[in-house]
Amino acid sequence: MQISPSVLLLIAVYTPILTGLILLTLRKLPKSFASGFALGGFAIPAVIAPWLLAKWLSPNTEIQQFISDGPWGFGMGLNGLGAPLLAMTAFVGLAAGIKALTQEVEARNTYLGLILFMFGGTLGVFATTHLIGFYFFHEFALVPTFILTLFWGGEGRRSAAMQMALYLTAGAMASLAGLLIALDASGLSFNEATLVRVVEALAEGPHLPQATAALILFGLGTLASLFPFHSWAAPGYSAAPTPVSMLHAGALKKFGLYGIILLGASSLHLSQGTLGNWFLGLAVANVFVVGLICLVQRDLKQLLSWSSVAHMGPIFLGIWVAGTNGKAAGLDAAAFLMVAHGLSCAALFLLGNAVRTRAGTYRLDSLGGMASRSPILAALFIAATMASIGLPGFGNFWGEIGVFLSLGGLPLWLQAIVASTVVISAVYSLRAVAATFFGPATEALEERYRVAPFGDLGLAEIGAASLLLGASLVIGFCPSIITRSTNPVMTDIAAYSQRAEIKLSKPAPQRAPQSPATPAR
Amino acid sequence: MTPLLASLDVTFKALAPRSGDWQAILPEICVAGLGLLCLLQALILPVTQRWLIPATTRVGLALIMVMSLVPVSHWNSSEPTFAGLLMPHLPLIGVRLVFLFSALLTSLLAESFLRERQASVPDYHHVLLIITSALMLLGQANHFVTFFVCLETAAVGLYILVGYLRRSAASLEAGVKYLVMGGLSSALLLMGIVLVYGSLGSLGVKDPLNFVEIQVAIEAGKFTALTLVGTALILGGAAFKLGAFPFHTWIPDVYQGAPTPTTALLATASKAAGAFSLFLLVNVPFHGLAVRTAPLLAVLTVITILVGNLGALATTNIKRVLALSGVSHAGFLLAIITVSLVQPEASAIKWSAADTLWVYLLAYIVGTFLTTQALLAMPTAEDHHRPILALRKLFRRSPILAGALGFGLSSLAGVPPTVGFAAKLLVLILLVQAKLWWILGAALIGVTISIHYYFSILREAVIRPSDDNEEVAVLPTSGLVRFIIGFLAAVTVLGSLLIFI
Repeated sequence: MQISPSVLLLIAVYTPILTGLILLTLRKLPKSFASGFALGGFAIPAVIAPWLLAKWLSPNTEIQQFISDGPWGFGMGLNGLGAPLLAMTAFVGLAAGIKALTQEVEARNTYLGLILFMFGGTLGVFATTHLIGFYFFHEFALVPTFILTLFWGGEGRRSAAMQMALYLTAGAMASLAGLLIALDASGLSFNEATLVRVVEALAEGPHLPQATAALILFGLGTLASLFPFHSWAAPGYSAAPTPVSMLHAGALKKFGLYGIILLGASSLHLSQGTLGNWFLGLAVANVFVVGLICLVQRDLKQLLSWSSVAHMGPIFLGIWVAGTNGKAAGLDAAAFLMVAHGLSCAALFLLGNAVRTRAGTYRLDSLGGMASRSPILAALFIAATMASIGLPGFGNFWGEIGVFLSLGGLPLWLQAIVASTVVISAVYSLRAVAATFFGPATEALEERYRVAPFGDLGLAEIGAASLLLGASLVIGFCPSIITRSTNPVMTDIAAYSQRAEIKLSKPAPQRAPQSPATPAR
Repeated sequence: MTPLLASLDVTFKALAPRSGDWQAILPEICVAGLGLLCLLQALILPVTQRWLIPATTRVGLALIMVMSLVPVSHWNSSEPTFAGLLMPHLPLIGVRLVFLFSALLTSLLAESFLRERQASVPDYHHVLLIITSALMLLGQANHFVTFFVCLETAAVGLYILVGYLRRSAASLEAGVKYLVMGGLSSALLLMGIVLVYGSLGSLGVKDPLNFVEIQVAIEAGKFTALTLVGTALILGGAAFKLGAFPFHTWIPDVYQGAPTPTTALLATASKAAGAFSLFLLVNVPFHGLAVRTAPLLAVLTVITILVGNLGALATTNIKRVLALSGVSHAGFLLAIITVSLVQPEASAIKWSAADTLWVYLLAYIVGTFLTTQALLAMPTAEDHHRPILALRKLFRRSPILAGALGFGLSSLAGVPPTVGFAAKLLVLILLVQAKLWWILGAALIGVTISIHYYFSILREAVIRPSDDNEEVAVLPTSGLVRFIIGFLAAVTVLGSLLIFI
């Protein structure tokens, strides 16, 4: 008997949540049993999600086969953008899970259970078809993230967790208002309000005021660390325990972008008029200003956190440009970069933590020469850095080059600013690599090595990092895996965005109704 | 028989309850009977068997909850009863569930609390049940006599429960404050009723205390300036119970000083009484004045939400935080009432404004009691002194209590997947449908602010302290406490499922 893809989708989303629930209620489970149990929760989605993506790409399946009713009346199903993101999330989740399992922490079962909750919520975001459902699943992950950061987090967790909670809630509330207004304007009832139907209804129907688009852009933008609402992100990721940073920066944050692409970019005319100018300016600032902030970071984890914010810039630019010229290229590149960045960013957080456990610090000026002690760690870290700055071969390359090519119509000086960020990103990333792995080791590090000699990466960490980097290489060499899935959706969305130009501030001139329904007198 | 006696006979026969009337309020009669049974049991049971009293109360309340859910017309009809004294204008099941549920949970929380302080358990239960019965009748009032009598019965009961700990100065102080402020609000209410009675009576309205007759008269344009003044005073009296701005000033002090189970009862049942009666008043007797009341309510909604949230932000005592956050929840309830006036057909998912009112209240009850239970399970020298800092290391000392706080506060704050989120979502959908953008904005800002104080409490309970090596004593919890927490935590998740389906 063949299992329907829709059932597998439900299993993929609810396995982590149920596993997490069991671990939370049975806090006294023996360690080895709990480990195996949790590993199942992390691994099952990682097996199912790529398979679902393959099924999605296969011409033999229909969209209907992926759709089912989930709990809360939030239907489950895939779309061209959700499918690759789901697979990416599943990989990041498995890697984060492996990392969490290797950590020695207090109240381990609760820790694992909460991470599984977060993982399940993130998977749910990309696997639900419902307009409010995707919001629901995102918020679902908020409380676990807050608790994880507070109890198992590092320095600065007290203020970082609260700052993150406030920003995320503010963003979520603004976007919720936008979603509800869109829902109301689409004229659909709550239960039939799938993302696709709402987008279609809005594209056909009356235009919403740009304030709605602004609510969605800035609300969801805050969640995706759009400049200047990004200041929660870097402290939040830095203070969180590594698996949480991996999941949050790699996968959960893509929720905001996912929403902006599906809702905002399609029918709300984000890129036009005054709002469009603001969007462009903020996206450029996201690339450039945050890039400069990265340059002055002296702490490896802070640097990784900030660079993960900076890399959102090209994605925003891709979304913006598609809304102005109506071509799918910018959106395709943005979607590609979302997947690729998730993988590379999670790998960097994972390996950065491996540096920290060995050297005892994240401070770049206290590190050095680690390549001779831990060559595999060095090799993988360099590979992840290369992926992150967009070297050909890794997935990020296609995303970044795609965005920059799609920006061809911009003024030259603006293109120059955007292009300069490639250099900036290379500078700070490579400098961090050099400071960590090459040159002479500092006194303190030598001393630490004499007291407690550290070795190379363990098998589990190698496995987790290779999983992420391998996936990045696969999509780097075979980008059609992603683009074949995203392109049809993105073409539609780009077309919707051009369905009608918005009228700037002035109301549309009153014209005699010409619809056939009103008989001529 | 003299002619006078004969005419009186006719009048009394018209007023006399018909046989169906008693059936219509069977659940309320059962609750009051249960209250009397408490006293009877206290009389005849030996001291060793006094545990039966709260047990009977809980079983009885649970049975009455089931009974009021049974969809038979005997106690669910919308016909006027008792010669028009009662007539359910609100969803009856919702009204009854709200008051029964909060009474049941108060009983569960109160028993061990009272025992620890050597206070009498049977009396508390007796008063609790009489209050509940009165409030359940209040939700069906169709006449200002019933309205006032029910409200005052409940208020007198609540004065007793607030000052219940006679050896605690804080409890007594809160009792006196509540008595004075409550007396003031009753006086305003009564004055308003009299003004409405007088002004409408002089215009020839036959029974100017009957809600439906007032509605007909006002909608026909029969009212004077005095009627408006009376209306304002009556609405003020109801807003006092709800704790809406500008009648919210008593809330923090009274909530802080009252014994914690009573605080939870005040926060839920008393607030619910205010919300239901305000909904009733603006939608039935004063419906013709909607043009005037709706803007007033809208402005008060915005201010109430902001005042409650901003006040709670600067507070360090958990009971006061919950009190002021209750004010902001009152703002959400006011928002629902405003929607019912502005856009009567609005419905969220499948819930009308009136339904949303009780669904929101039920969600609020669950969150409030879960949080309160977690507070009560922590030992403290003085019940009114519960600083946020006292929660330090709770996650290590008792993960289950930290979990209860996590669920309870998330639900109050409105974070998925809790029932609090679902309830807030309903309100927001209603606001969008009614196009009340200012209230929507205030509500969203309010939620964002509320995250700060709710999560500050949770943060103190969860954060790993920097002085990591210090050993902490494990905080034991009784089986009953664990049961209540487990039950309410399950309700927070399943409840949101029920709202969406």
